Amino acid sequence: MTPNAYTIPDALRGKMQRYQGMALVVGVIGLLLCALGFVMSPEQLLRSYLVGYFFWTGLALGCLALLMMQYLSGGAWGLVIRRTLESATRTLPLMALLFLPLAFGVRTLYLWAHPGITATDAVIRDKSFYLNVPFFLVRAVLYFIIWLTLTQFLNKWSLDEDREGGQLWAKKLETLSAPGLLIFVLTITFASVDWIMSLDPHWFSTIFGLLILVGQGLSAFSFVIAVTILLAMVPPLSGVISKKHLHDLGKLLLAFVMLWAYLSFSQLILIWSGNLPEEIPWYINRLNGGWQWIGLALLLFHFIFPFLMLLSQSLKKNPKALASVAVWVIFLRIVDVFWLVQPNFDKAAFRMSWMDFAAPLGIGGLWLAFFLYQLRQRPLLPVNAPDLEKALAHGRPH
Amino acid sequence: MIEPVELPTKIGIGPLLGPGQNLASVSDKISGVVLNRKTTLGWIAGLFVSFMLMQGLLLGAGVLFLKGVGVWGINIPIGWGFAIVNFVWWIGIGHAGTLISAILLLLNQSWRNSINRFAEAMTMFAVACAGMFPVLHMGRPWLAYWLFPYPNTMNIWPQFRSPLVWDVFAVSTYATISLVFWYVGLIPDLATLRDKATKRFHQVTFGALALGWRGSAMHWVRYEQASLLLAGLATPLVVSVHTIVSFDFAVSIVPGWHTTIFPPYFVAGAIYSGFAMVLTLMIPVRQFYGLKDLITVRHLNNMAKVTLATGLVVAYGYMMELFFSFYSASTYEGFMMHNRMFGPYGGFYWALITCNIVTPQFLWSKRVRTNVPILFVISLIVNVGMWLERFVIVVTSLHRDFLPSSWGMYYPTVWDFAVFFGTIGLFLTLIFLFIRVLPMISIFEIRMLLPAQRVKEPVK
Repeated sequence: MTPNAYTIPDALRGKMQRYQGMALVVGVIGLLLCALGFVMSPEQLLRSYLVGYFFWTGLALGCLALLMMQYLSGGAWGLVIRRTLESATRTLPLMALLFLPLAFGVRTLYLWAHPGITATDAVIRDKSFYLNVPFFLVRAVLYFIIWLTLTQFLNKWSLDEDREGGQLWAKKLETLSAPGLLIFVLTITFASVDWIMSLDPHWFSTIFGLLILVGQGLSAFSFVIAVTILLAMVPPLSGVISKKHLHDLGKLLLAFVMLWAYLSFSQLILIWSGNLPEEIPWYINRLNGGWQWIGLALLLFHFIFPFLMLLSQSLKKNPKALASVAVWVIFLRIVDVFWLVQPNFDKAAFRMSWMDFAAPLGIGGLWLAFFLYQLRQRPLLPVNAPDLEKALAHGRPH
Repeated sequence: MIEPVELPTKIGIGPLLGPGQNLASVSDKISGVVLNRKTTLGWIAGLFVSFMLMQGLLLGAGVLFLKGVGVWGINIPIGWGFAIVNFVWWIGIGHAGTLISAILLLLNQSWRNSINRFAEAMTMFAVACAGMFPVLHMGRPWLAYWLFPYPNTMNIWPQFRSPLVWDVFAVSTYATISLVFWYVGLIPDLATLRDKATKRFHQVTFGALALGWRGSAMHWVRYEQASLLLAGLATPLVVSVHTIVSFDFAVSIVPGWHTTIFPPYFVAGAIYSGFAMVLTLMIPVRQFYGLKDLITVRHLNNMAKVTLATGLVVAYGYMMELFFSFYSASTYEGFMMHNRMFGPYGGFYWALITCNIVTPQFLWSKRVRTNVPILFVISLIVNVGMWLERFVIVVTSLHRDFLPSSWGMYYPTVWDFAVFFGTIGLFLTLIFLFIRVLPMISIFEIRMLLPAQRVKEPVK
């Protein structure tokens, strides 16, 4: 096998460029609409922007987590999606830049940062040791430093491995991934408290960080499955990525769907049964005034539907069907983030703004364009990874 | 500078089986422990000590039934003492067996083949110990059937909203599936023992237990299907059991109990303590029975890694509890945490942190993971730590109620200890008997690991 066997051929390259252009157009239009929205209602724009931003950043971060996970666990599934994961993590510098509107809008978006709120609200005053603007920004900078550092090394060593081969880089990547994942989990936990939980500054739930973490992993898994299936339709990966690989990926997707439902259910039943005044309002908002239909939709379509679909072995081995389920889950992930964010503001009744479409589309378009650009930079498989042959043989009939 | 490793395995700690093993040697080695080996003095001594310890349980339970739960240290406000601590501890230990036998089977982790039989047996015995405590704690064990919803003339039903009732269903289902899974896994090996046995008694006994297994291709097909199905059933069960155990605490509104991280953190803690217990038992057994070629350092290394990983999840749980007790800005949460750390039971908290969080950090080092004596000591410390964790959760959350007038202390009595150590005796007695009368390692699954057994699949 030549080292360049998985370099992107010109036909695919052209296709990617076309899609990249389309995504960029969507992104730019979306962001222009966001700018218009900002002029009309900065409050609404920031909320919608947070939905889009948190979803797409979460997707990239989920990919970062999966990248480290697959180095630790080994296995064929990780090798065939590694380049997609890497490309997704390399969008994080863009996401750091896109954080700026939130950094500038923090006093508008977050109740605890409203001027004078600590004088009237005792709980927020008691929390101000953690929930204050300077500390919030310092933490955000810290998260990005950690995420970008991990991204940097994971990508650099993987490229070095492509060039030089040998066991050294694999060893280094594995050694970084264990503590890397540990620190990563902590940053996501606190970032989810900062960016999402603190939208309702009175509410708290100790499982929330894990729930967000698993949600991001689920988004990332769905995304890489969809991308991998698209890539497997054309050379160089056609015939290389097999049904067996898809089956493995499908099983892991099912596991993540179940894990998300398990954590969500645990949080709901414990808060429901405790019925404490500091916890239950969060669910009262979300299960009344029309929001309950979104909640029900999440139960039916974010859990039950993909769960039942993914139980089938033939579906997991059918590329089109599996990709459809994956895209479906991605869509429901956005709905979930929307349901986490918006009911904090529209407590009385369900309300949606056109900006709730514009912002996720705009950020998503830009993100996808950047992702496709990154995906084109390297061969589609880690050509010199020590276990590559084994991983590909895993999918072949014996 | 790290040198490139030339070993075939990714871990580079040696193979799953020692050198020179073949089909015959594996069968002889494992079945020989049951069939040929003379009953050693060490085994008799071990069984004797365990059996004596078990008398504590009989005595403790006898006194308890005669006099009532007042012989224990429980009272208001601490109505849940050792009984619940021990229940959670034992049931948690059981979970590693299911994880090894079911989840690792589904994940195609063939290294589990050397340890799954033993771990499953451990699960059975641990669940047996655990199951006793709720019944003992009732005070009127002859009314235990009230736990089940049965139509009765009083028209009284259990409170279905209470997780204590869910526990009844979860634990009994779990025990049933574990037993079936364990027995189904034993059948091919029982047939091997039947075939190798030379004494009539052995032939008849193992023959009856083997249920007519002849090892035909059809048998194996059915066997594989049944194992995968049972593994698929056991996997959600193991999660649900400890989730419901965590609900026992978390659906209440007691600070220190009511926290949403409990379900995943309890499940991780259960697996953590269970793996520590597997290590605690496996290390001496492989030593005394000369099974180092079957349970290799690589197995110990893998188990140590799982212990470390689950231990880190547990550490994450502690950290969330700590952070949110401040972040919540709730007086009660804050007081609970302060009381847990610096109250009258503060020493237990710090001991727990030392045992459960600090000690396993040594497992980051490969040198520690492959050093058998040190690993044994760490596994013991983790076992103690996980018991302390449940003690801290149960006792420190209860003993300072919302009203200072109803504060109190819990002092376990001699009968608390008698029952606790008695169950350890019961557990060890069962383990000793198991080692003696049944193959403690799955013979046919070890055979599958041998190179001679690698048959190429036909081209589809």
